[in-house]
Parts: sequence; structure tokens; C-alpha cells
Amino acid sequence: MTTADRRVRDAFIELTDTLVTDFDVIDFLERLANRCTELLGVSACGILLADHHGVLNLVGASAEQARLLGLAQLQNAEGPCLDAYHTGRAVQRADLNDGDPRWPSFTAAARAHGFASVQALPMRLREQRLGAVNLFSTEPGPLDADTVALGQALADAATIGIVHQRALARSEVLAEQLQGALNSRIVIEQAKGFLAERLSVTVDDGFSIMRRYARSHHRKLTDVATDITAGRLDLARPPASRETPPVP
Amino acid sequence: MEQPRSFQVWAAIAACAQREGTAVSPRHAVITCADALAAAGAGLSVARDGVPREPVLASTPLAEELEELQFTLGQGPGMDTVAGRGPVLVADLTIPDARHRWPLFAPAAAERGVRGMFAFPVAAGAVLIGVLNVYRLPAGSLAPRELLDGLVFADAALVLALDERGGIASGPDGLADAAVSARGAQVHQATGMVAAQLGVSMPDALAALRAHAYVTGQRLSDLVANVLARRVRLDRVNSSPEPGRQPSAPRAERGEEE
Repeated sequence: MTTADRRVRDAFIELTDTLVTDFDVIDFLERLANRCTELLGVSACGILLADHHGVLNLVGASAEQARLLGLAQLQNAEGPCLDAYHTGRAVQRADLNDGDPRWPSFTAAARAHGFASVQALPMRLREQRLGAVNLFSTEPGPLDADTVALGQALADAATIGIVHQRALARSEVLAEQLQGALNSRIVIEQAKGFLAERLSVTVDDGFSIMRRYARSHHRKLTDVATDITAGRLDLARPPASRETPPVP
Repeated sequence: MEQPRSFQVWAAIAACAQREGTAVSPRHAVITCADALAAAGAGLSVARDGVPREPVLASTPLAEELEELQFTLGQGPGMDTVAGRGPVLVADLTIPDARHRWPLFAPAAAERGVRGMFAFPVAAGAVLIGVLNVYRLPAGSLAPRELLDGLVFADAALVLALDERGGIASGPDGLADAAVSARGAQVHQATGMVAAQLGVSMPDALAALRAHAYVTGQRLSDLVANVLARRVRLDRVNSSPEPGRQPSAPRAERGEEE
């Protein structure tokens, strides 16, 4: 087994462990996004889930949420994730400077953020299209077939994580789970904003502080966020809020 | 399946209000929702601090009875919606699973001829206002289109309830900003910031944001961008740079100003 194989194996073991225990969907998606960047050799990864308005929402991201958020929202008009979501197929753009007229606004924004290539992998469950995984690289060039296959496996893992019922006996369960994941993300955004104001930090730092608290107290991220938004938990002066959070 | 669906739902709600000759309110969302989902009735219960408090609206006497019943018995899909984070969709209240989950409510609803019940949270994250309950006589799942419509009606009810709370009119002009859950992460982040600034609950913070956008004549998305960039604080509205000199206590009662 090569080092790369071992890392892939370890990543899937970690993700599977997360799924078996009583897990937090947003924390899971964040971990998955970070694993994607490591294993696929890309610079950034975002996980986009469609809501009932047909709008793609960023529900998980590797580092630099703010940067990925803008690029995610642009793709409700145009972009690789919109295409992957609608067609159910992988979409690749190996060079954002290739003069291809597709997605002019998205391309300009992605380039302005320093990205040179982009990939979108569909998230599907049987017949239903749920969203897409977005991969960005600062280097131009296509991803090879093995990497794309691994990326699709990770995208499928994301789908399974969101729809975490083992048996979808009732057709209603999918809708309930999807809405639950989207709503968890909203609570987290609200808690991030609350902490940003309360602690005079950036919204991204608010998230890091919240995540570190959840991990060190072995609590679900969504539960911590819910407590913050309900005024039941005050992270106003966390003892170690100054240091840079560890990358998971 | 995208924006036009929300607009159709809003148009139906607005038409309902117009037929009555009254300003559009959450009641119109409830009535229109019952129609659109071929239901025997729909009802709205309010929650505060994450706990269901009381039924407030029902489109039919049957819906009213079932709303009351959930509170009397302290159980039912609507109660679980508030406790959980997503909709609770029950295609048949007479199957063992449903009877096991709601041993008092499920048989009581079935006795009254209601077999399908679909509870949608009227919420955006911690902004939890209540539950929209839809009651159908025959057993059976919602069609995919009905399910999406139900979710959009719940969003519409949320916006209408928030604006009622903020003392502003949710006219058709506000429709572009209406789909709270579709507005992206920034609205939710700004809601959190405003809650901390004003020391109010998340629902009050979002109501205050919407009311402030309304009285100062800005788009919600522009106000949100200013709040996130820390150019505008809602606890210091007097010194905020936008036009519209009405320094509002954001939750002050306000009539229609258009």
C-alpha cells in the first residue's frame, strides 16, 4: 500500500467512524471538504446543497469560507456546480484562462481569487440530484481519471452523510434530512455572526472559535451553535480564543 | 423549479388577500397553502424560545381542532417539528410507526378522518417562529411539487410573521427579498450580529433587520452587506449613513408607509 493509498484509507475510516457515531452533519461536511483538498491535491473545496427554491447553498467548505461563499453564490446564475447539479455529470475546466466563454462572471471571480482550474462533481442519490462538490486549484491542468473517481467517492460520502438514515424506507425521509442539513447550516451562520459581533472578530474567526469549543467539549457543532443563538452559552471570553485554530 | 415557484406561491397569497380586501398576512399563507396542497385544512402554531406555545391560525374548523389537539395531548408531528430541525412528513397516521410515535395524537387524528399530516417549520435556523401544519384526509405522500410548495409556503409564512412583528407591510415589492432561506449565508450572519448588538432573540433580530431595510428604503441584501462590513449598526441607527432619516427603534410599530 502506498502512502497515498494509506491516506485515502485513513480518510474513509475517519469519515465512516464519524457516520457511525451520533454525528453532526455540518462538522462532517467540513471535515470532508478538508480531506478533499488533501487527498485530491486541490487548493479549496466547497460542498453545495440545493434547497427547495432550487438555490445552491454552501453547506461545507475547506479553509476560507468567505472566499468560497462568494464563488458558491455566483453559481446560482452560472458555473460548474450549477451545470453538474443540473446534468448530474462531472464538469471540469482545466484552465480558467483558456478563453472558453462559459460562465464569464464566475470565471472572472474565481481568477480574481487566484484560482486557475475548477472541477464540480455531482451529488446524487438514486434519481435525485442534491447538489455538487466544488474543487478549486491554483494551478491549471486537468485532474486525472483516478483523482476524479476518488473525488466522486468523496462526493458520494458527503451525500451519505447528509442522508444519514441507513434505509430510506419512507420517501419523506430524504426531504426531512435535506432540510435538516440546510437548517443546521443556517443556525451555524447565525451563531458565527453573533460571535463575530460579541468578540469583535471576523465571521470566519467566529466559526473557528465555535468549532474549537465544540471539539474540546465533545459536543456537536450544531448544538453549540443552537445554544449560542438561544443565549444559553456565552463564548464571550473563551480562555484560548486568541490562538489560530488548528486545521482539522 | 426555481424562482418562479416562489413567485407563484407569493402571487397566490397576494391574490387571496386581495379577494378579502385586506393587507397580506400569515393567515393568507395558511389558507392558500391548504388549497395548494389539496388539504382539508392547515394551521399555524407559534413557538417561542424553541418551544411550541399556542395555535394561532387555522383555515378550517377541522384544522383548528387538530391544532388544539396537539397542544392538549402534547404530541404530534407539529410538536416534533419544533423539537427537531426539519419538516415532519407523515403519509399515513394509521400505520404502526405513526401510532408508536404519537400514541394519543395519531389515533385521535385518524378518528377525525385525517390520515396525512405534514408539518413544516416556519423557521430559518434559530429564527423559529412556529409550525405550519397541513392536514389531508386520504393517506399518501405529498407529490414532489406539493412538498416544495409546502416548504415555500412555510418560508412565506415566516416572512409575513416577521414583518408583522416588525410592524411593516410585506408588499409585493419585498418579494425579491422574501425567500429568507434562499438569501444565502450573509443574511443569517447579519442576523446573528444584530442579535448581539441589540441584545434580542434571533427572530427579533431578523425582524429588526427587515424593518430597518424597509424604513430606510434599502434592499435587505444591501443592508446586510453594510452590517457585515460594520458600516451600519442597528443599535446606533441615528448615526447610520443611509438616507431616510427616520431613526427607528427597529421594532417600533409602524403603519404602511407606501
